[in-house]
Amino acid sequence: MAEEPRIGVFVCHCGLNIAGVIDIEALTEYAKTLPNVVYAVHNRYTCSDPGQEEIRKGIDEHGLNRVIVAACSPRMHEFTFRRCVSEAGLNPFLFEMANIRELCSWCHPSNPEEATEKAKEIVKMAVAKARLLQPLMPIQVPVTDKALVLGGGIAGMNAALEMAEMGFKVYLVEKKESIGGHMAQLDKTFPTLDCSICIEGPKMVDVSRHPNVEIISFADLLSVEGYVGNFRVKVRKNPRYIIDDNCTGCGECKDVCPIEYPNEWDMNMGVRRTISVPFDQAVPLIYRINMDYCIECYKCVDACGDRQAIDFSQEPEEIELEVGTIVAATGYDIYLPPEGNLYGYGKYSNVITSLEFERLILAAGPTGGHVIRASDGNRPRTVALIQCVGSRDLNIHEYCSGFCCMYTLKHTIQLKEHYGDDVEVYVFYIDMRSNFKGYEEFYQRALEMGVNFIRGRVSEIIEDPKTENLVIRAEDTLLGEPIEVEVELAVLATAAVSSEDAGEVAKILNITRGTDGFFMESHPKLKPIDTPVDGIFIAGACQGPKDIPYSVSQGAGAAARAATILSKPSWEIEPIVSVIDPDKCRNVKAKCGICASKCPYGAIRVEPGKPAEVIAATCHGCGTCVAECPSDAITQMHFTDAQIFAQIDAALGESAEKKILGFLCNWCSYAGADLAGTSRFEYPPTLRAIRVMCSGRVDRDFVLEAFRRGAGMVLVGACHLPYDCHYISGNWRMKERMEALAKVLEKLGISPERFRVEYVSAAEGVKFASVIKEMSEEMKELGRERIIAENEKVKPYLDRMMARKRPKQVAVAQIRT
Amino acid sequence: MPMKIFKTETEDKLTINRIMHARSYSLLLDRKRCIGCDICNIVCPREAIDIEKPAKIEGEKLTPPRINVDENKCQFCGICNTICPFGALALEINDERTIPVLRTESFPQIIHEIEVDTSKCPTDCRECEEICPFDLIKISVDEEKNGVNVDVETDHCPCCRLCEVKCPHDAIHTRKIIFGSIAIKSEKCPGGCSDCVDVCPIPGVLYLSADGKVHVNEFPCIYCGVCKIVCPAEGALEMQRTSVHHTPVHSGAWNKALEKLCSTEGMAKELRSRLIVKAQESVRRRLGKEVP
Repeated sequence: MAEEPRIGVFVCHCGLNIAGVIDIEALTEYAKTLPNVVYAVHNRYTCSDPGQEEIRKGIDEHGLNRVIVAACSPRMHEFTFRRCVSEAGLNPFLFEMANIRELCSWCHPSNPEEATEKAKEIVKMAVAKARLLQPLMPIQVPVTDKALVLGGGIAGMNAALEMAEMGFKVYLVEKKESIGGHMAQLDKTFPTLDCSICIEGPKMVDVSRHPNVEIISFADLLSVEGYVGNFRVKVRKNPRYIIDDNCTGCGECKDVCPIEYPNEWDMNMGVRRTISVPFDQAVPLIYRINMDYCIECYKCVDACGDRQAIDFSQEPEEIELEVGTIVAATGYDIYLPPEGNLYGYGKYSNVITSLEFERLILAAGPTGGHVIRASDGNRPRTVALIQCVGSRDLNIHEYCSGFCCMYTLKHTIQLKEHYGDDVEVYVFYIDMRSNFKGYEEFYQRALEMGVNFIRGRVSEIIEDPKTENLVIRAEDTLLGEPIEVEVELAVLATAAVSSEDAGEVAKILNITRGTDGFFMESHPKLKPIDTPVDGIFIAGACQGPKDIPYSVSQGAGAAARAATILSKPSWEIEPIVSVIDPDKCRNVKAKCGICASKCPYGAIRVEPGKPAEVIAATCHGCGTCVAECPSDAITQMHFTDAQIFAQIDAALGESAEKKILGFLCNWCSYAGADLAGTSRFEYPPTLRAIRVMCSGRVDRDFVLEAFRRGAGMVLVGACHLPYDCHYISGNWRMKERMEALAKVLEKLGISPERFRVEYVSAAEGVKFASVIKEMSEEMKELGRERIIAENEKVKPYLDRMMARKRPKQVAVAQIRT
Repeated sequence: MPMKIFKTETEDKLTINRIMHARSYSLLLDRKRCIGCDICNIVCPREAIDIEKPAKIEGEKLTPPRINVDENKCQFCGICNTICPFGALALEINDERTIPVLRTESFPQIIHEIEVDTSKCPTDCRECEEICPFDLIKISVDEEKNGVNVDVETDHCPCCRLCEVKCPHDAIHTRKIIFGSIAIKSEKCPGGCSDCVDVCPIPGVLYLSADGKVHVNEFPCIYCGVCKIVCPAEGALEMQRTSVHHTPVHSGAWNKALEKLCSTEGMAKELRSRLIVKAQESVRRRLGKEVP
């Protein structure tokens, strides 16, 4: 690429978001002074149509061959502007963003002058990188037009049906014996009071009958490998000891089975036989023998007779599925108050949870639809329903579980409909959240039926040891008085929590969980169904507690998102991959292979005597191999050593000793920094951030160069250990590398607090802001003189060490797929 | 209400409870009747029963082994109920005595065969009442029929046959529940040790002889196996069970239990005899007449 770079800089006001703090005029004028910048303008909203038009015009009229937009975070609009630039005929990878909003104007509102200076340097860094950018062609990979839906609840089933109707083959993997999820455990649904299984049953049958859906039930997810369009999924089918095709679901076996054990489906309030289905409308209707309890009397074999459906020799079966996309719809769990809780759950017989209440009032439940007390089997004449148990609680879960107010209203109406005036119902609430279609009317209905609502959080429940009645202690905040109500049954509306195996699933799929334990979406407002992993989507309660219509909508939404990929014959993969220079690779002369051993994806092929080779389609672009290669033989496209050195150079041009140079990984620490800005957490404008895809990319040489150029402090930001790294283990490689480097730096005479490795997740805006604040304070305490002195002492050593590193512009190598 | 599983221990009783919202299970072990033979331990399909060997205290009579049930493993199937020759275990579901494995014929009942022909009993004879080592026989005079009523708690009777032997009027007919063989190798018996004698529930089966070694009178032996558990000398006491007197049953669970209680040969023998009976029946049906 011998052509002279002609750089255009487009500075965005972003309304007042940027313009309110930063002097846009001054910034634009400054940009014009930078070498190779031939055109600089500013715009109110660069991402809008007129804004994008301006960019296109600029490229045409001024012959621009590099474009910089100084605006929001690249995590926000890099895609938008890349598309805009390519429409004007320029390769999208000749575009770079300067983040002067999330990382500048939003976090330094009280410091407009310093913020403007910082913004100038951010633009300078972007220009320095842009000068060295190369055009890149995206890699095309074939797409398998099949999908995997993980979880057979109402969201998962909908996703599966929608995709099946579109014509794609769907594997629906469910860990329980039957699909249906929690909705199948309910008696009625709010606000229509439809019988739950009556509306869900037909849907379950539809799923089982659809020619494009294959239900793989009673199966666990073992591993997922590959990338968008080409996932290889391993699933283990657990043995039912029944031959699926032969079982007619007649149930004659269960009638002759002697052993019963607690039925989880009935919240352990009812029992099921050793050979049984969890509930009568199970889909698929195939029985299962629980070998933990079976005494092998073979009465079931006799009863089954000619059908010969029972096979005690069955083994777990591992199968491999090839799919193009994955939809995770793994649902939620119910919070159960632990031992010693103040509501007496687990201690007092007559305190139950709402899901247990649901199983009692269900006609097919363990009591045949009668709400009875555990202590004496009698119907309660007074019932108290207690809200926000485990939710909206700073000690347990801060969030609101969303559907509990509604299902409690449903329970009160059910009680009144069953027992009329024979039952007195009290609801202890903080707020009544009935905010969707028909929900407020439902609340009014409960009020009209004579349900008593007491606004006050219950502090404790005490039992009368003789009658086993419960005394509810709360404050009636509307009256402003403490209140005690004696009831015969207490129902706790407990929180919805992330499912027990959410951590396991997140690890296998390589997606993150938020602070509340639910899966994290790409963007809470605009991308609630996507995850940062291309090709994997989330739907339903696993993303956050939600009611049935919301889950259904998300299921359909996930199907649409997945279909975007499945409907294409091939999918474009970002060419930000690593390329090995065969002339420099050490493996040719001496046995090396370090890159292959450090690659988290096994994407590097190494054969003795030959240069190592990157398999581009499997390369996820973390850059760990680049930093690990002892011969500097590897380059990462779009994040070359030369580009990063240029950014370091630009950042530390003036007053380097007052600056914190930060290397932030795209998925966690950079996102956390963005979040700090989005949340308007203020911190001193000392940071100059360089974005890398993974902390594993951060070479020792970058840190050394930073100190050589006189940086005050250096920060490496990464995803949390042990499992959060978007590229699986990049952060571990970085940790090892930096721990060794820290010792070297200390020996060279650099104060240990000047070099920090911090683990900040995308959800930790607060933490990021406080890290920068802390580091700025420490820098101030150390004092400018001391920092300059240390740097001067160290410079000759570092000069020698870096002399061997003369990053040359790497010609665009042939990316082999 | 979440399920509660707990164990209660008193001097005389061990109770395992599983309480669910609308269903409750309890297994009661009567320690007064339990002799620590561990037959229940052998057949329990969940291996929920443990046996604790007694601690030997010098100069004192050895106490019997102690049974312990793991409340988290018990599945309330009732097998221990039916197999215990002493009827020391009682299972209740919703406060009603029931044995699930009997309801579905997944396990047989052991037959406590004791028949007393009271017409042969003189009104003043108390021989059987006095000899029964477990006080299971109660004789009461019946004025109306001018005879006696002999009430035997058959559920708890291990059928040692002492009463049959002692009866001077040949009025009692019994049959063993468990058949087997027992022998003591005198050369291996340590001598001066009376551990097995101390724990044996039937007096007279094991006794210390003049030579200081233990000898066995096999007739009343019920093959419970308690002696084998406590015998300190390996190989000194050989006890083998060969068969069990039980109601007819066709169950894989019983085959396994029989194999564990007796031996593989014992189980095979029973299966073969069942087969022969079946074959006889089918020929009988075919030919329409009796087959010798």
